[in-house]
Amino acid sequence: MLDLENTSMDRSNRFRILVCIDGSDESFRGLRYASLMARGDDCDIVLVYVRPIDQGLHSGGLQASVARQNMLDWGLELPGVKFLKRGLDILMEEGRFEADWHSEATHTDIAGDPLGDNKIEYSNKKNKKIVLKLKTASDPASGILEQCALGPYNLVILGDTSGTHSGVMSFFDPAVAEKVAVNAPCAVLVARDLIPERGHLVCTDGSERSFEIVKKDAEMVSRFSRPNISVLSVAPDEDGIPAATNAVSQAAEIIEGVGLTVSNKIVKTGNPVDQIVDVGKGYSLIVLSDSGTSRLKRLFLGSVSSKVLDRAKNSVLVIR
Amino acid sequence: MNVPSWTTRLRNQSTVRMKAIGGHLHLYYFWEKRWLFIALAIGVIMLNFFKPTDLSYPGIAVLTMSVVATILFVTEPVPLPTVALMIVVAQVTLLGIDSTDVAKSLMTDSVLFIMGSLMLAVAVVKQKLDKRIAWLIVQITGTRTSSICFGIALVSGILASFVGEHTVAAMMLPVGITLISLTSDEPRSVRNLAAVVLFSISYGASIAGIGTPSGGARNAIMIGYWKEFFYNPNIPETSVYLIDYLSWMKYAYPIFLIQLPLLTLILFWTFRPEYRDLSRAVVKLRAQVESEGSMKLADWVAILIFFLVLLGWISVSGQLGMGTVAVAGAAAFLITGLVRWEDINSGVNWGVILLYAAAISLGLQMKETGAAAWVAQSFLHVLSPFGAESGVGLWAAVSLLTTGVTNTMSNGAAVAVLGPIVLKLAVFADESPIILGYITAVSSAFAYLTVVGTPACTIVYASGYLKATDFLRVGWKMVIMSSVIILLTAGIYWPFLD
Repeated sequence: MLDLENTSMDRSNRFRILVCIDGSDESFRGLRYASLMARGDDCDIVLVYVRPIDQGLHSGGLQASVARQNMLDWGLELPGVKFLKRGLDILMEEGRFEADWHSEATHTDIAGDPLGDNKIEYSNKKNKKIVLKLKTASDPASGILEQCALGPYNLVILGDTSGTHSGVMSFFDPAVAEKVAVNAPCAVLVARDLIPERGHLVCTDGSERSFEIVKKDAEMVSRFSRPNISVLSVAPDEDGIPAATNAVSQAAEIIEGVGLTVSNKIVKTGNPVDQIVDVGKGYSLIVLSDSGTSRLKRLFLGSVSSKVLDRAKNSVLVIR
Repeated sequence: MNVPSWTTRLRNQSTVRMKAIGGHLHLYYFWEKRWLFIALAIGVIMLNFFKPTDLSYPGIAVLTMSVVATILFVTEPVPLPTVALMIVVAQVTLLGIDSTDVAKSLMTDSVLFIMGSLMLAVAVVKQKLDKRIAWLIVQITGTRTSSICFGIALVSGILASFVGEHTVAAMMLPVGITLISLTSDEPRSVRNLAAVVLFSISYGASIAGIGTPSGGARNAIMIGYWKEFFYNPNIPETSVYLIDYLSWMKYAYPIFLIQLPLLTLILFWTFRPEYRDLSRAVVKLRAQVESEGSMKLADWVAILIFFLVLLGWISVSGQLGMGTVAVAGAAAFLITGLVRWEDINSGVNWGVILLYAAAISLGLQMKETGAAAWVAQSFLHVLSPFGAESGVGLWAAVSLLTTGVTNTMSNGAAVAVLGPIVLKLAVFADESPIILGYITAVSSAFAYLTVVGTPACTIVYASGYLKATDFLRVGWKMVIMSSVIILLTAGIYWPFLD
């Protein structure tokens, strides 16, 4: 128990990033982005790949584990291992990982899967950690959320999996990214064509809550070697412009307080969702606050952040 | 005192968050299970407000149960075996059937057959004959990619027609992956090759699963329905509805054989593999197989038992029941020590057996309460304006309906749900229940469009080499090809068999 408390105390002083790898280019772009942030020794990266266990009828009464066991007997790797290895190679390329780090492997048996959960933890002398985790869960989103709960993590990065379906389709099958973004207890970065150099666009509505988000994001941006951050506020109509301008300058003060300079200060009028999506195109990612309304309300009414998450063509970071 | 660092604050806040989520969790629970509540609400509304004059209360209750069960099959808000348990409870509480009678209705020869076949499937996979099969394929086909793919589809198909597609997918998947990964280490450079090889396995198994009654649960379910619906021991003429193993094969096996070359054509038309020749991979595969040594006694015994089971199905299943033969085969594998009980116990998804048992039991209730007849009549009313109330139009409508349903749920469940309705439909439309029954059972294999459509697709998709969109890209061509072939077979070939 003491050990567990120590671990969580130890972790709470570190910046921990969970990168969800699914083998897509987007997930590896997300990983590169994480590695840019992980320059310091106080930053750990955890790579997770989730393999679903078949719990339904889909494999026709023969457990999927029979097929997987057969694959293993042939000496074939299961999907995921290769992707995690590639992730480690990327981190090595980026200079975040050296081959001489201390490594420690752990394994947990899971009913219904021949491989169970597997973890390799690499650490350097200053205790910076890189963890590869092959996880089994009923579906990818639950696997990622379970991993989040094991955290604490400061940031979860995952590639967008939804493709084009929205509206009715997403009612049937909410995309993994959406499910994680709604439920994760920490900041979630949904990566879409993530290009690092363009900087963050942080949105504020002048509320206390949104300023907290601005601060958190500024602290996150300061981890990059070339920090780049801009502020946007959208006024609903002409009358709202002074308030929005005020919000932007207050946010800029907060950012400067962290020791950064603000690249652009933008005030727009109109529909917040449209404006944010439009202005956001020119940036690496759009930073939004989780709206703070209750889950149920958000699910039925939608909030600015979930609408932007749904409509934006580039990456979105939801901070809470 | 120091100001806490921002990470500590973030951490503290996340603790607060975690607690808040605890409070919110029940809301998310409702969201995740929303289809369960939607289905139950529809059930309550139907029971209270849905009062057609020509359907009795038990009929309405059974129809309600079927609708609710179908929604749950498709949306899966709860683990599927839960639906089976709910069906059992509803049969006792809503219909007032005696609990012992409900329990009795759960176990039939069809269910025994499904159970025995699954046990056999695990036993067959555990024999590790897959390397030898792979070697046999490449020895016959040579090293050209197209020939190997045809060979894989043929062998997967023949095996699947006797032992079920899931078995074959589990056995042949490593063969396919080995051939792919021995050709190139980089998955991206063999994407199309992976698609043709893996789809040859999964679609080869899917189109063959209809070939014999042991190819899939849905076949056994349909045979069970024919017997329960139409067979009357006192009327000798009704014995035509007792379909045995061999007469099923006469109807269905040619459909598989015709589709086989077309499958390879469609695959090569859709995906153009990067490598025309796989000699590099074949040489390495040969080295792997040679390290296995020659066939051992145990291997021969396994093959012998397997052929005895096949022989039993063909020759004595009429007297003993196909289920009995299947469990006898499973017992033989256990007695000879070729498979351990632990392997069977962990390899068979017992929930599936429970689910099929409940679905078949519900299907029979559909017939007894008149619900199936009512739905069939309503369906005919809908079809008649389109001129599809009889003949080829009706066949096409049934095939289309089944294809639609089977792409959203497991094919066994699709046949269990649709079977009673289609058989009653045949009676009202004055068509042969046998023909329409075959069309339903065969069309339920046309689940090419989605990853979850057929067991073989699910298992192959789990390899990580395919994308979900690949299934759509090639699936629609397969659906059209298969639909045309089933209608041609029904129109041209089956009349000769009567």
